[in-house]
Amino acid sequence: DTWHMPTPYGDANLPTKIAYQFADEIRDKTGGQIDITVHSGASLIKHPEIPRAVRTGQVQLGEVFIGVMGNTHPVFKHDNIPFLATSFEESQKLWEAAKPEIEKQLDKEGMKLLYTVPWPAQSLYTKFPVNTLADLEGTKMRAYSPSTSRLADLMNTSPTTVQVPEIPQAFSTGIIDAMITSPSTGANGQAWDYLTHYTDISAWIPKNIVVANKRAFRRLDKDTQEAILTAAANAEQKGWEGVRETARQDTETLAANGIVVSEPSDELMAELEKIGAIMVKEWEAEAPEEIGKILEQYRQ
Amino acid sequence: MEPMTLSIILAISMLLMLAVGVWVSLALVGVAVLGLMLSGNEQIGLLFGTSSWGASTAWSLTALPMFIWMGEVLFRTRLSSDLFTGLAPWLGGLPGKLLHVNVLSCGIFAAVSGSSAATAATIGRMTLPELKAQGYSDRMAVGTLAGSGTLGLLIPPSIILIVYGVAAEVSIGRLFIAGALPGLMLVILFMGYTMVWALLHKDEVPWQSKAQVSLAAKLGALRKLLPIMGLIGFVLGSIYAGFTTPTEAAALGVFGALVLAGVTGSLTMDSFKESLLGAVKSSCMIGLILVGAHFLTLAMGFLGIPRALTEWIGTLDLSPFELLIYLTVLFVMLGCFLDGISVVVLTVAVVLPMVQQAGIDLLWFGIYIVLVVEMSQITPPVGFNLFVIQALTGKNILYVARAALPFFLMILVAIVLIYWFPEIVTYLPTTMTQR
Amino acid sequence: MSAVREKFYLTSGYLSGACIIAIMLLILGQIVGRFFGFIIPSAEDFAGYSLAASIFFGLAYTLHEGGHIRVTLAIQRLPPRWRRLQEFIVLVFGLALTGFMAWYSWFMVWESYVFEEVTHGYIAMPLWAPQVPLGLGTTALMLAVLDALVSVIKGDLPDYIGAEDEINLEEA
Ligand code: NA
Ligand code: NA
Repeated sequence: DTWHMPTPYGDANLPTKIAYQFADEIRDKTGGQIDITVHSGASLIKHPEIPRAVRTGQVQLGEVFIGVMGNTHPVFKHDNIPFLATSFEESQKLWEAAKPEIEKQLDKEGMKLLYTVPWPAQSLYTKFPVNTLADLEGTKMRAYSPSTSRLADLMNTSPTTVQVPEIPQAFSTGIIDAMITSPSTGANGQAWDYLTHYTDISAWIPKNIVVANKRAFRRLDKDTQEAILTAAANAEQKGWEGVRETARQDTETLAANGIVVSEPSDELMAELEKIGAIMVKEWEAEAPEEIGKILEQYRQ
Repeated sequence: MEPMTLSIILAISMLLMLAVGVWVSLALVGVAVLGLMLSGNEQIGLLFGTSSWGASTAWSLTALPMFIWMGEVLFRTRLSSDLFTGLAPWLGGLPGKLLHVNVLSCGIFAAVSGSSAATAATIGRMTLPELKAQGYSDRMAVGTLAGSGTLGLLIPPSIILIVYGVAAEVSIGRLFIAGALPGLMLVILFMGYTMVWALLHKDEVPWQSKAQVSLAAKLGALRKLLPIMGLIGFVLGSIYAGFTTPTEAAALGVFGALVLAGVTGSLTMDSFKESLLGAVKSSCMIGLILVGAHFLTLAMGFLGIPRALTEWIGTLDLSPFELLIYLTVLFVMLGCFLDGISVVVLTVAVVLPMVQQAGIDLLWFGIYIVLVVEMSQITPPVGFNLFVIQALTGKNILYVARAALPFFLMILVAIVLIYWFPEIVTYLPTTMTQR
Repeated sequence: MSAVREKFYLTSGYLSGACIIAIMLLILGQIVGRFFGFIIPSAEDFAGYSLAASIFFGLAYTLHEGGHIRVTLAIQRLPPRWRRLQEFIVLVFGLALTGFMAWYSWFMVWESYVFEEVTHGYIAMPLWAPQVPLGLGTTALMLAVLDALVSVIKGDLPDYIGAEDEINLEEA
């Protein structure tokens, strides 16, 4: 069978590279029985529509940025909560804690979780050095979701919405002064053309997930299912290994092109962690039962 | 079924549907349904829902009805005829005279609008009736507009450059700057062709007194241009001063046009309603074609036809020069049936590695691809500038396409020129790095 | 009867126009908001939904006015009898396609409703609500095609042909 797998990001990104390897491995292991065509860069289905397309069986599997499903249930926001898990070790631990709840929610939606791929940690890009929060006061920070908007508020900046492709122009013309995103986004978009400072605050580590249509998966025989799950486990491992290297390389690229890359001051981190604590509380209040379980598991 | 057989069947059924008079938008939907049926897809209806919802809610598209409405509003004011009286004394000495208004206004408006169809619609609404009234050749009026409307894509801002930049991970800021010189070059090529044509067809350009127009008269005429230049300056200024993003600027443009129309007293309740319904007609027409084109793009993604064709080119082991020739032919062929942005989206995953392997600069390739996509805007049967102009004039798509053919060839010349002199593309972006 | 039809088409046109105005107001609001430092939540999303609504609401009006593009070069030369047959075939085909489009647009709305899907943007709202215009618009388009088909069966040519035949520039 030919299976179609839409993914949201282009071929140069780690998650897409892993998706191609995942497809190859399954083709090998099933002797060509399951032949997955990867449609990268949202070329088949637009990003926000991918979960629905998988759920209703328009495609057999697909990849999605977890945050896109944030409005579906608060557990899908677990990797977007600032300063909850800021290293890859913590992030992996948080994922183990959140996974049962995520699987449960996906199952309700008719989807089966296959694997996750993390992105490098989200850090602060500005046109000026940032030593304490006071340096950011009154500036305009990019916000694209209720939680990034709330974060901007708590940082005493004014949240400003700008769509991704318009970011370079927005920085150059002063529509925004600051944003929080990964070193990869900055390196791929040649951020040195329009900003100067990168402060490695590692606010959160977002992830993609790859999900399959439940019915399509169930219809397979045990061996094929096994082959897919093994390939998925391998893909997930490659993700956790690869992302460390990606993060290191992309941060180097930023520095090599003249962006001032710096570690955050202790004072800044202390201020930010206070904000983080507030946001974790607010997140927990959205679904005390499920999120309580995740937090309890994570903090063990 | 073989991709080759399948693509021939689909192309023939598309041409057949169009020939018997099926609307372009419905023909696109029909071919998509047929293709998915032939491939044994069982979710055709669901896929139609997904694709039309995604296609019709795209944020970047919101600029389109805004600009179309802006054209409708300006058309109902004195501003469009002022545009001609203001420019006439300046262009009177140039062979081709006021035909250059199309090229120049499109070139200027392209700095505000990111799309080719919006540029052609907004400018054409103002210029075509006036050119006709003054007795210019229909075919040349239509041709210059169809050709120069495509400048909307090359001169920044540009939707297609954003799409390519995201896919190829090339800085969008650099792509925008890289597009400036080739855009200027294209303006010169278009004006050059228009002059040559005018010298060869003296009888088809209205006669005007040879008397020298005094500089004072020229400057006086410029005053007529002030309101419209003010409007464009206002929109451009608000982009570069950081008040708006390019997509938002369109709303500012239509608002400004309404204010101008109100101030000059040309805005009545009736003309307001007429302009709005005119905008509805054009933007619904284009909107449904976009929905159809998006659905066909999705079907093509499932069928894998563009990918198969591109992969076949990859197996030929070509030199960079040959590769570009093959790709140009492929893109022009695909561009006949799919809209240009879809061609890029569908092939980029296969094309980019080939291009990189051939040692072609990705920034340069972005501008090359825009030029090819510009060509696809004016090739039948699916060419958005053709649709826009058919809607403006009632002239048949094939008539418009024939009128646009010389400009199609001029874009081809531009591609050859940037191949020989890649600096036209790369010079400005390199100055950017050295700051 | 004819008055009802005219009202139907005009309603289609004005609903679409209202959505175009809504896009302008939303984006202007966003620009003003940014200037004064506040966010209009989900302005881009709502502008997108208004765009979809404006496209689909106006389809029937646009068809009636001859606004949808097609290649008329060949068919214009047909003798009247053949021309009616050709329009009949096109309209039957069109009815089938627009029926398909309407059915599955409503199916999408129904699915979003049943599965309680929410929009993914800044503000989470039920997804079916902004999708309803797709169902209404495609249904209206289907009715417009049916209307034209009925007039062909009765022996007339549909209204949109009059608009298409104005070969010359409208204001010339
Ligand atoms: Na442009
Ligand atoms: Na074309």
